[in-house]
Amino acid sequence: MSFEAIVPYNHPMLNSMYTTILQRFFAILLLLLPLLLSGQNHQRQRAEMVESQIRSRGIRHQATLEAMNRVPRHLYVPSNQQRFAYDDRPLPIGWGQTISQPYIVAFMTEVIQPRSDFRVLEIGTGSGYQAAVLAEIVAHVYTIEIVEPLGLQARQLLERHYSNVSVKIADGYYGWEEHGPFDAIVVTAAAEYIPPPLIEQLKDGGRMIIPVGSPFRVQQLMLIEKKDGRITSRSLMPVRFVPFTSSSSN
Amino acid sequence: MTQPLESNVLPWRILWALGIHSAAIIAYQLTLIQLISYMQGYHFAYMVISIAMLGFGASGTFLALFRSWLIGNHSWLIPALMAITAIMMATVFMGSLHPAIRFDAYLLFVDKAQFLTLAVQYLLFFLPFFSGALAIGILFIRYPGAIGKSYFSNLLGSGLGGLLVLFLLARFFPERALSIIALMAVSPAVLAYHPTRKWLQAGLIVAALAVSLFSFQKQTHLPVSQYKSLSRTQNLPEARLIVRKPGTHGVIEVIESPALRYAPALSFNFSGQVPVKPSVFVNADYYGSVHSLVADQTHIYNYTTENLLYAALKPQKVLIAGAGTAPGMAHALFNGASKVVAVIENPGVKNLIAHELYAATDARELPPQARLVYSDVRQYLYQNAQGQYDAIILPRQESFGGSIGIHALREEYALTLEAFGQMWKMLSPQGAISITSWIDFPARTTLKTAITLMETLKNQGIENPGEHLAVVRSWGTMTFLLKKNPWQQEQKQNILDFCQEMLFDVVFLPGTDREVLPVYNILEDQDLEEILGKIFADDYAQLLKEYPFYLFPATDNKPYFSRFMRAETLPRLRTLFGVENLPFLELGYMILWVTLLQSTLLAFFLILLPLFRLKKTGGGKIPVLVYFGALGIGYMFVEIIFIQRFVLYFGHPVYAITAVIGTMLIASGAGSLMSGKLMKGNHRFYLPVVAISLILLLYGFLLTPVLTLTIGLPFAWKVAIALALIAIPGFFMGMPFPLGISWLNQTFPGHIPWAWGINGCLSVIASSLATLLAVEFGFRIVIYAAAICYGAASLVYLRQKPTL
Repeated sequence: MSFEAIVPYNHPMLNSMYTTILQRFFAILLLLLPLLLSGQNHQRQRAEMVESQIRSRGIRHQATLEAMNRVPRHLYVPSNQQRFAYDDRPLPIGWGQTISQPYIVAFMTEVIQPRSDFRVLEIGTGSGYQAAVLAEIVAHVYTIEIVEPLGLQARQLLERHYSNVSVKIADGYYGWEEHGPFDAIVVTAAAEYIPPPLIEQLKDGGRMIIPVGSPFRVQQLMLIEKKDGRITSRSLMPVRFVPFTSSSSN
Repeated sequence: MTQPLESNVLPWRILWALGIHSAAIIAYQLTLIQLISYMQGYHFAYMVISIAMLGFGASGTFLALFRSWLIGNHSWLIPALMAITAIMMATVFMGSLHPAIRFDAYLLFVDKAQFLTLAVQYLLFFLPFFSGALAIGILFIRYPGAIGKSYFSNLLGSGLGGLLVLFLLARFFPERALSIIALMAVSPAVLAYHPTRKWLQAGLIVAALAVSLFSFQKQTHLPVSQYKSLSRTQNLPEARLIVRKPGTHGVIEVIESPALRYAPALSFNFSGQVPVKPSVFVNADYYGSVHSLVADQTHIYNYTTENLLYAALKPQKVLIAGAGTAPGMAHALFNGASKVVAVIENPGVKNLIAHELYAATDARELPPQARLVYSDVRQYLYQNAQGQYDAIILPRQESFGGSIGIHALREEYALTLEAFGQMWKMLSPQGAISITSWIDFPARTTLKTAITLMETLKNQGIENPGEHLAVVRSWGTMTFLLKKNPWQQEQKQNILDFCQEMLFDVVFLPGTDREVLPVYNILEDQDLEEILGKIFADDYAQLLKEYPFYLFPATDNKPYFSRFMRAETLPRLRTLFGVENLPFLELGYMILWVTLLQSTLLAFFLILLPLFRLKKTGGGKIPVLVYFGALGIGYMFVEIIFIQRFVLYFGHPVYAITAVIGTMLIASGAGSLMSGKLMKGNHRFYLPVVAISLILLLYGFLLTPVLTLTIGLPFAWKVAIALALIAIPGFFMGMPFPLGISWLNQTFPGHIPWAWGINGCLSVIASSLATLLAVEFGFRIVIYAAAICYGAASLVYLRQKPTL
């Protein structure tokens, strides 16, 4: 169909109006296009991240995979780091903190075996990304951040997207007693000891996960389990290190 | 061919100017190292300074390229450059703190933009060394006839500059010390003032004074990397700085916060309140927490694996070697010790603990059975070899989450086989050595500790080493006990009861079947315990050869306990952990390689560049390159090895550096002064370098035995011995450079600037190369390498047969 068929050439006023509308439509489209493309781009990057960094490394928990696919990680990193948001590494977020490598976030999420009725406590909100991933899966996330500017930033972001996340700015040592006990506790701001109040606030049968390492490299993950009042720890390795090529199996 | 310049008499005020200028440069360099160490960490300071020092090499290149103009205008250029150097000293550091170019070393391997800011930082710090060295180089080249005196002035000034830094850092914070040095650096420009272009010189001197005074009165806030423990602690709620003191070991700071607690790998069985304690930092790195020195309450350490010692035995006399902030003192007293000696290696911290912080935390006197001693651990062991202790406790190894290998290049003489041998001799029959380590992944520290203890027992002729060991772990730490006599049944039962109560696991206890014991802390990766089992069964020869990390015990010849990297394993580790994570495995070692590579590449470029100008000026380039390059490497090798040897001898890096740098430079200065007179008309021009070679070869065999024999002597004797041992080669080592310049002045005067540049460049490379060689092969090899360098220089003489 020709343009003349759409716009009768012998009606000058209509011609002018249609032209103006079309021009404006295309202008708006051009303006929105980067945004649309960027959104699709981030989505594609997220899908790629889940496939190449997470699923390929053995994460199988379906809810975790879906959550990692949904949460826009790039919103949880500083603007100058956004182009690296889906890279396979931690990123600096200021105040001496990092947002964990995607695989570590997925690993920690899977390890606590989250369910939709879970109430989870997180110590160390940081960027808020881990809390966001958990919020996609569980009933409610209670997250505590000791560094006030970080906590405020994370609160703003999380409350905008989730109604099942509560952020508190406080010393995580004391946990969040009024909302305990918790089905799972994620201690991303690890210290040299596990605070007794957190063990107290872990439900019997519950799991606590603690990454151990420097801000830029997680060496291992401590899984603390409470069963029949007894506490055991299990050290998990996100990266298996086989010291001898001819011995030990993965 | 360029005609040789006439010998000149250098006025005394110029010699004074040169001396003060040289002192200022060295003092500036050392203070800058302290400042960057504080803000970023020692290894990054080392990396930045190595490039800055290439300013010396670059000045030689610049001189070679623009010789005529520079020498022709030397009269006003020298004072002008001295004033410019003072301006740079006052402004460059402040400029480097600007947010737009501020560098965070911890982000270097994470944020590529940091490479750009690093390059800018390099350039900034390069400038004062370049201008400073250019002034010196022009002076050397313009007055070759007075090279002996000028080199003497340069070396003496440099030596005194090193001493000055000690004085300044003990009394002033490093940022204030820097501004004092910048002020001092103005005076050489005044002394060297020349009527030519007086307004330019006057303007520069006034500008130098103005900026130096401005920087002196300005309160500079030092931005510490956000990833250093001081910064992270300051982010805690209500964090308050309660103490800040300067010190030669680094700036000491104490922070308190209601959120600051420390309880290393606390047992899950602890249900009380973890006490809040202030934390001590040295150069912005966590040093320890401030615990009560009085045992009047439950000590939190009773709920850690470190209590294994007290659970198994009831030691009465306890030595805490390398006590940090002495938390172990109250722990020992609480557990009934009747005598506790805590050896603290930082004098500032020791005074703080004993007088200020103690008074703040407890209003009582230190109990009579407790003693705080400031000393190096090895020195204390040597001086108290007759003492008998029921327990010797070593500092906790590694750190929670891993130290990312930043201690790889640190000499740890308290953890060598020789040190363990000394400690063994000081144990009473029922005594034990206790050492705790954070469990690292991949396993390194725990394995090396186990091997070191096994080797110690074998060195003592113990046939069943396993009978003397007990190892227990929690979720985070592993404690090793090395007992003088085999374990008794009652003691073993005490250990089992302790583990059951605290939910700890037995890793090794002779005669115990671990299979029947409950496991409270499961390791997903069983390799660690399997390997430890082999070690305690004395089956670890293959492990030492094949394990991807270096596990050989440290010795006094290679005292790098925390060195684990093996270059051949890098590709495999890169595949396993990813190239981004590799630096966070063994950062210290990698930084050393990066430093060596970058300075070598740049030096190569700086040395080659002048050759395009020199190709028309005749031959002699290879001998110049070999001779002055060998001198640059050899001198630095000897200096570094002497520092490392005398750190053990004096037990104090500060005394060692003072003695070595001060004595070497002053003795070399004296040698330089005498060189011309001694060798005039003498055809045996090569004698000094041959003498140096022979002395160093001898030192390779005899230095360590002599130091070992005399290390227990009183301090005054040791100082005299050290001065003699350093001054003898030092004196001769001051001769080859001025003799070489004099020779060049007669044969290829156009090569003199290039020679100055070569010497500067290769000195810089040599400092990191020496450390690398020492880490890989031990100190002795480095001394032999230095001997070879001077041997190569003597070969140049023998071929060229110069005379003066």
